[in-house]
Amino acid sequence: MNSLVNVKNLGFAYNKNAIIEDMSFDVSAGSFLAIAGPNGAGKTTLLNLVCGILKPDSGQITIDSVPIKNYSYKNLARKIAVVRQEFIPSFDFTVSDTVSMARTPYLGILGFESDEDKDIVAQALEITETIHLASRPLSQISSGERQRVFIARAFAQNTPIILLDEPTSFLDLRHQVEIYDLLKKAQLENNKTIIAITHDINLTMQYCEKTLLLCPDKNYHIGATLDVLTKDKIEQAFGVRTLKADIGSRSIIMPVGKFFNTTN
Amino acid sequence: MKDNSRQSVKNLTASGLAVKFLICLIVLILIMSCCVLIGSQSISLKNAFAGLIDRDINNLDYQILFGVRLPRVLMAAIIGAALACCGAVLQAILRNPLADPYILGISSGAALGAVIAIIFGSAFTWFGGIGIGFFAFIGAILTVWLVWLIGHFAAGGQAVASLLLAGVVVNAFLSAVIMLLTSIAKSDQLRATVLWLMGNIIEKDISTLILSSVLIIAGLVCLFFLSSKLNILSFGETHAKNLGVNTARTRLIAFAVSAFITAIAVSLSGLIGFAGLIVPHAVRLIFGPDHRQLLALSALIGAGFLVIADTIARIITAPAQLPVGVITALAGGPFFLILLAKYSRKISWIK
Repeated sequence: MNSLVNVKNLGFAYNKNAIIEDMSFDVSAGSFLAIAGPNGAGKTTLLNLVCGILKPDSGQITIDSVPIKNYSYKNLARKIAVVRQEFIPSFDFTVSDTVSMARTPYLGILGFESDEDKDIVAQALEITETIHLASRPLSQISSGERQRVFIARAFAQNTPIILLDEPTSFLDLRHQVEIYDLLKKAQLENNKTIIAITHDINLTMQYCEKTLLLCPDKNYHIGATLDVLTKDKIEQAFGVRTLKADIGSRSIIMPVGKFFNTTN
Repeated sequence: MKDNSRQSVKNLTASGLAVKFLICLIVLILIMSCCVLIGSQSISLKNAFAGLIDRDINNLDYQILFGVRLPRVLMAAIIGAALACCGAVLQAILRNPLADPYILGISSGAALGAVIAIIFGSAFTWFGGIGIGFFAFIGAILTVWLVWLIGHFAAGGQAVASLLLAGVVVNAFLSAVIMLLTSIAKSDQLRATVLWLMGNIIEKDISTLILSSVLIIAGLVCLFFLSSKLNILSFGETHAKNLGVNTARTRLIAFAVSAFITAIAVSLSGLIGFAGLIVPHAVRLIFGPDHRQLLALSALIGAGFLVIADTIARIITAPAQLPVGVITALAGGPFFLILLAKYSRKISWIK
């Protein structure tokens, strides 16, 4: 297995408040890794370190065996695309304008898209089933559609790695599954390496072969999803008891609250 | 099938932009030609063009057309282009629809320079009339530089917000200094100060016109090359970085170039309000937010807007002349409200 993303002895602190300490792991090409953990455990911080927005205090991250700090912004944008949770509209760009911006790392100095760029954009819109929205302003589509548009932008960026920050928060059940199907398809058919922050343990069990579980005490677990998302480790990370039910070779996990009892 | 889906990606193309640019350019030239012919003194075109050949100094028509009106119209056009384009750039890099070319201290800095030149003017009139403009330019550049330094060191990751705050604070402080100075000024100095603050296009000598035009046009071309990056910057810092934009460098270049050409414009004409705020908004409302188009068309439409405003200022109370800033504010405000009402569904920050 060749490692595409390598994280070695990573450490990061906000104002001497350590978020990540001595973290090391590998992500092999063409895999689907989930990053799970409670709020404040450093999931988004880790994502920002991997995509080069934040600089590590110690240790290093390499992409294709080259340290991130040796990449220019442009070259890093040809390796990693990021789908973010927040979207702050400033001016009202249309869907196709937005997805076309993914081609910027490939454009010449004047910055006009070629026919080839347009084909790539159109293809990304088709795969994500957003092509009928192409000329609509970004502010006038639903949040599920908008999430698919930003995934289309990540596809059009044509990078081997896609990072996503909670791609299914605020989405209903069908849209959640649709987004993960889309990502899984990209992984299987185009050999994309996908790293997604997620709060949904059951979607993780279904789609991601590996999981990185961050604990509040800076501890972490990484490995095959079934080995990481155990009752003990989930309780250690989230401080909540769970019930686990096996269905064939699959399992589902449910968090258990104070008022839950099985006799009722 | 493939061609079909390509069709639905309706992006700006270089040729599409070239066509719109040419149409706007032709309209601008028509506007300028008309405005050259309009004035308190009616002139004979035939006579004026005859003067172009025989260079007769006593040919009054020639003198008015080519010596007075044409330079003034060109000056208005170049200032309008600079202000409108810089307004669009600053709205993009500050991600703030209320930004205009003066927002980061240029107005108060230039005004302070001008007030100093007017009040202590007798000491500085080496080049005839250049004194005020020169001081305004120096004041503007120094102030913008100061704002940038404060904003940069106070940043803590919030570069945009701290820049805006630094601009507001410096503007407020310098305005206090200006009030202090004007309160001790003599009444004729006070009138000159007020006129300057309102924005006033007056005839300058031809070499000043050529030099400032060359610098401003070079700056505008430079800004145009940043326009695809400005598109991405309006999605925010992290989005832009992840799409391969060196945000710090782009913002620095955009900021420095637009500050420089705004300072030139201000040194020529004083503070002409509204042009840099409403023209980019109007263009965005009509043509969309793509900065490649927005910057190019804002420059041409801003030029046309200011040429018309200045012509009105020139003739409406002839032989007296109004400051052009009065016209831009009076005409710009209601015009902008109409646009806003008509297109407000197109822009998201209003909701």
